[in-house]
Amino acid sequence: MRILRIGPLGISTHRRTFAVGLVMLVALGALMVFALSHGQSSITVLESLKAAVGIPVGAPADFIVGQVRAPRALTAVLVGAMLGLSGAILQSLTRNPLASPDFIGISAGAGTGAVLTLWLIGAGSLWVTAAGAAAGALATAGLILLLSWRHGIVPLRMILAGIGMGFVANAATQYALTRMDMHEAGNALGWLVGSVTGRTWTHVSVAAICLAVLLPVVLWNARSLRTMEMGDDTARALGIAVGPARMVLALCSVLLAAASVAITGPIGFIALVAPAIALRLTRNAGVTLIPSALIGALLLLAADQVAQLMPTTVQLPVGVFTAAVGAPYLLWLVWRASRGGPA
Amino acid sequence: MRTRALIAIAAAAVLVVAIALSLAIGARAIDLGTVWQALTDLDPNDPEQLIVSDLRVSRTVIGILAGAALGVAGALMQALTRNPFADPGLLGINAGASLAVVIALSTGVATGFAAQVPVAFVGAGVAAVIVYSIGARGAAAGAPVRLALAGVAFTALVSSVTYAILLLNDQTMEQYRLWVAGSLTGRQDYDVTALAWIVVVAIAAGLLASRQLQAIALGEDAARALGVRIGAIRTVIIVIVTLLAGAATAAAGPIVFVGLAVPHLARALVGASLPWLLVVSALGGAALVLVCDVIGRVVAPPGEIGVGISTAFIGGLIFALMARRMKVVEL
Repeated sequence: MRILRIGPLGISTHRRTFAVGLVMLVALGALMVFALSHGQSSITVLESLKAAVGIPVGAPADFIVGQVRAPRALTAVLVGAMLGLSGAILQSLTRNPLASPDFIGISAGAGTGAVLTLWLIGAGSLWVTAAGAAAGALATAGLILLLSWRHGIVPLRMILAGIGMGFVANAATQYALTRMDMHEAGNALGWLVGSVTGRTWTHVSVAAICLAVLLPVVLWNARSLRTMEMGDDTARALGIAVGPARMVLALCSVLLAAASVAITGPIGFIALVAPAIALRLTRNAGVTLIPSALIGALLLLAADQVAQLMPTTVQLPVGVFTAAVGAPYLLWLVWRASRGGPA
Repeated sequence: MRTRALIAIAAAAVLVVAIALSLAIGARAIDLGTVWQALTDLDPNDPEQLIVSDLRVSRTVIGILAGAALGVAGALMQALTRNPFADPGLLGINAGASLAVVIALSTGVATGFAAQVPVAFVGAGVAAVIVYSIGARGAAAGAPVRLALAGVAFTALVSSVTYAILLLNDQTMEQYRLWVAGSLTGRQDYDVTALAWIVVVAIAAGLLASRQLQAIALGEDAARALGVRIGAIRTVIIVIVTLLAGAATAAAGPIVFVGLAVPHLARALVGASLPWLLVVSALGGAALVLVCDVIGRVVAPPGEIGVGISTAFIGGLIFALMARRMKVVEL
């Protein structure tokens, strides 16, 4: 146990968790440097670093690094962190490693909300799309809770209701797509694939603002989350208002997932896999929010680098690679659980 | 027995109404008298009669085939896995069929619809075996969440591979788009007789095997005591389900939840008797697909939405409501 202090704020953390966090940060920094300096046009590491922070260095680097690579890489990092965080909260709240916003219909609902916004209001500012995605995700989450509420929430029932609602939301998205005009539908389809290609500083700033607002709320409630994992009664006895804390955390998880969908489109499996990797690396008993966020960022940035390095004629969207890693992991989880292991 | 027969007759009546709707309703509503005339005594100069005989009849036949196949496939899978949430679409069997077709298209093994159908069967079969052995065997067999998640994960994996192949290969994308339209249209030029035979034979085989399957549902020891060869029956059922799901996917593209919702409803009506369940599921599945197709024709004028979309919307809600009714220990 160690206390990490910045001025009056302190976070207590395990030594190992702290070390894992540091290693992740270093790895993220190294990968970031690679992402900025590596690409089709060769720009030196120093030049690209300068260009990324806005110091003019000359014709190709200023644009390629400053306007293409840097926002793309930062979007990947921020969205990956959002997904990792969202998944970690949801898995901790449901006490189930199978829960993740992309499987229980939340991301699908966010996609429906965003597409409906594009259809009814038109392609305006990114904030409008994000608001639509948030509304869609919250509505879906509300419906899931409503449908699975029976003398309280049972996580497994909630997951099943979520899978069903995911199908409903995707059908609604398809319906909206057939009603939109061709051009808009084409744009929406491209976005629904889930990709960080062509993201600008606007996307980065929206992601950064969402994360800056939601992360402190999550961390503020992190202690309640950790205590609630020991059981509701224990948490109540320790003076935690279980209902409100759970509500706030669930809201944060849904909003993080919705914001990520608005910025990059739905990218699967990061929210499922990142918290699981974090748990194994830190060997913590319960939830590890910051490591999950860091690993999510690392995973998405790495997947995007792989997508760029692949010698294919068309660059594949990053979701193809996250699914290629994540889906076997989920199948393995199910396989283990059906052999009597922990679900 | 008598109530069950009456329910089957009622289901057949519903199907007849659905067929009438499917023939009469569309971008252009045609009154039933004209429909009847087109079926019995076609006047080739009447455009309305030509719409019925050229377009709507083949569309309706394909809908009946796909719906009946999916209803029976779902009922058999649910009996086999002892899991009320089993559905060929949800379990990724459609996705497996799609991937097989895409691989065949991109490698040039199968060109033309007729060659793609057997390929789709192979893909469906491989997918069925994989998902069944991951999600429905072992100590906790029969837990709905496991099976559903195994299906969702498998579908995600397979569709991302499918998607990658499609993106890298324009030509394949073009052919695939025609195949996977997920609707009952666009198949007029293909003779569905072969698919119809596959569906009829597979449903008949399912009926023949249903008593043994029901014995297995009592428990493996009880079934063995009754002289049922468990392994053989299981294999036969998986083959039948693969044929039905593959035929439905080949005929109408990926359709989810028909195999889930229809047997569930049928069970509420006829109880646990598997042969009757299969009969009512076949009739009800056909009726549901036709009704969903008719809904898809009228909700988005001037366009249409594919039958796969309307079934997913309705079926997803039914699925969530079923989850709500489950007891905690059953999950």
